[in-house]
Amino acid sequence: MFKPTQSLFGGLLWKTPWRLSSPQKARQRKRLRAVDRVVDTVSAALARNGQSTKAVERWYTEMPREEEMLPKDKYTLFDKKEKSYRKSIHKLPKWTRVSQRVNPPGF
Amino acid sequence: MSYFRITLLRSAIGLPRRSTDVLKALGLKKRMGTVFHPVSQSVAGQIMKVKELVEVREVDRSMTQQEVWLERKPDPGYYVEKTCAQERGEMGRQ
Repeated sequence: MFKPTQSLFGGLLWKTPWRLSSPQKARQRKRLRAVDRVVDTVSAALARNGQSTKAVERWYTEMPREEEMLPKDKYTLFDKKEKSYRKSIHKLPKWTRVSQRVNPPGF
Repeated sequence: MSYFRITLLRSAIGLPRRSTDVLKALGLKKRMGTVFHPVSQSVAGQIMKVKELVEVREVDRSMTQQEVWLERKPDPGYYVEKTCAQERGEMGRQ
């Protein structure tokens, strides 16, 4: 069915919504937990062999887990050009396949 | 000896060259492909490079590609009681 919208009539109007929808946020949380699970599995397997890796240790010291993160850090990231110094995380290129968890302190 | 069972869930299209190269090094060619690697620090480091793209499980033994496929094969809904050859054999004996 044809639905007359601004983008179909006007041509150059490709609008990305400024905020995430709630299913998008739910999927974002799911992805964050999936990454946590991968790191936990790798770490547990290495620990069973009495080993450890720098990459895993660094992840645990630097990165918060999904449940420790503030909603602000889950769905937005720092941007100096924004008025509120924050923009929605879906503006980040390849945002569903990169780990972006920490932001500058104070922002 | 335990193994990492690594499945590629998300493709590395459009990601930095290094991610693609790590997947190649792990032997992951396309989505839903599964590889087995013994648990070691070097493999762990490689997994950490592509942790957003893969699913990892620790398993006791490595499986062949055939076994991985058979795992996904659906139940045919029937079972074979007797094959033609068996039947012919019985006929011959009588």
